[in-house]
Amino acid sequence: MAILLQLLMSGIALGMIYAVIAFGYQSTFATSGTLNFGQGEALMLGALVGLSLAGTVSGGPYLNYWLMLPPVLLFGALQGVVVERIAVRPAIKTKSEFGWIMSTIALGIIFRNVAENIWGRDDLPFPSPLPTDPIHIFGASVLPMELLVVVGALVMMLGVEFFNRRTIYGKAVVATSTDRDAAGLMGINTSMVITFSYALSSMTAAFAGVLIAPVTLTGASMGAVLGLKAFAVAIIGGLNSGLGVVVGGILLGVAETTTGFYVSTGYKDVPGLILLLLVLSVKPSGLFGKTTIKKV
Amino acid sequence: MLKVENLTAAYGKVSVLHGVSLTVRKGQVVTLIGSNGAGKTTTMRAISGMLVPASGTIRLGQQDITGLPAHRISRLGVAHSPEGRRVFPTQTVRDNLLLGAFSRLTFGRARGDVEGDLERALDLFPRLRERKDQLAGTLSGGEQQMLAMARALMLKPEVLLLDEPSMGLAPILVEEVFHIIRRLKEEGMTMLLVEQFAAAALGVADYGYVMENGRIAVEGPAVQLQDDPKVRAAYLGGGH
Repeated sequence: MAILLQLLMSGIALGMIYAVIAFGYQSTFATSGTLNFGQGEALMLGALVGLSLAGTVSGGPYLNYWLMLPPVLLFGALQGVVVERIAVRPAIKTKSEFGWIMSTIALGIIFRNVAENIWGRDDLPFPSPLPTDPIHIFGASVLPMELLVVVGALVMMLGVEFFNRRTIYGKAVVATSTDRDAAGLMGINTSMVITFSYALSSMTAAFAGVLIAPVTLTGASMGAVLGLKAFAVAIIGGLNSGLGVVVGGILLGVAETTTGFYVSTGYKDVPGLILLLLVLSVKPSGLFGKTTIKKV
Repeated sequence: MLKVENLTAAYGKVSVLHGVSLTVRKGQVVTLIGSNGAGKTTTMRAISGMLVPASGTIRLGQQDITGLPAHRISRLGVAHSPEGRRVFPTQTVRDNLLLGAFSRLTFGRARGDVEGDLERALDLFPRLRERKDQLAGTLSGGEQQMLAMARALMLKPEVLLLDEPSMGLAPILVEEVFHIIRRLKEEGMTMLLVEQFAAAALGVADYGYVMENGRIAVEGPAVQLQDDPKVRAAYLGGGH
């Protein structure tokens, strides 16, 4: 029982990371109908920049973990702007339907190569800001860092939700997502909103990167698998449902940790992918996805 | 105030406007009538920047606004209540109205009394006051139309473009919409009105243009168009 509880806790922590990355996929999809397939690389870059600031790899530490967060978030946002300007905007301008797919993948590969050259190909340990001794909750031992992952992910998503509902800029983002032409008539610069959504998307990925880095290893290749699984989560939960990615993320995270323990670590990715295939064949808009009804 | 000259526009390879010219003077209500597909909505879309014209010029006062993106034209004071209403269904009535005033609310300071204008808009459309915290998508068609108009007014525009404000509405609501247009006219609002109900539109307008196949076929003071036998036969005949 204690073991199951422990697996659930780790699964939830992992799932929240997936949810944060998937949230980033949603944010750009909502405003522009495009996705950054280099989202995993945005996560990886965020983690490595964080490591350079808070770790010893670049002669540091220059900042402690908490002070490292603002510059990492800023870096993530700027990286998102670069992705939008270079890979996405030209495709939107020429109304190329699939151009952005190839260009965001290409840019992601370039980012990975650059990271390999700067930080090397090996995985590096990331210093944990919290004690590494597990704490005991109902007999299960949980890493304090795992709790921070869950809290951090929730705080970030609630923060964005608050921004969208309470501020005029957030309302403009929501308006752009529902009707771009009409939003333009309101005086909203919708291409700026799209750039912003890319900044937000990469910023959340960078945040996810520094959240998960202390419980895994950090390296140029860490983002590829996470980015792909988060994409599966976004599809499972629904590309337009915030609740969907949280539920989808936790489902996938728990499926992985339990399969890894009870079946074999070699098969831990299988249940999630089966879930993905099931959702796609039964409810293609995702578990919580809304099929939009247009009133004319 | 607003001057359109030799405007041509196309959707892909299909050209829909072939040299449209029209003028709206300050304080005037000008109506654009004509059958479906004549190019009325396209003309409106080109003025507000939803569509980039192929050629021709559009001037707002002294300024050339041809081909500017919609948000810049909006910030210069052109409000467009578009065809099909286009309210933001997942946001509340109040949020929709605030978005109408978006360019007055940005950069941390409100330009003018936005809250006061919100109250005035709700006074003008009392049905919206009752529903101000409801999601716009839950409103009836008529209420959505009123919201679209109120939202456009929140900009405090120099020129208000109204595209088919009566479309799909019950007769009693059509009357209400025209009552409001008349009230705005008394307050001195400059308006360009596209309408199916040609008789009602000419009744409220100072000047009118009749469009046919992407061209202006007839133009003149509204009272004159009302008596024009050709216009009467084509657009005012029958039940009106």
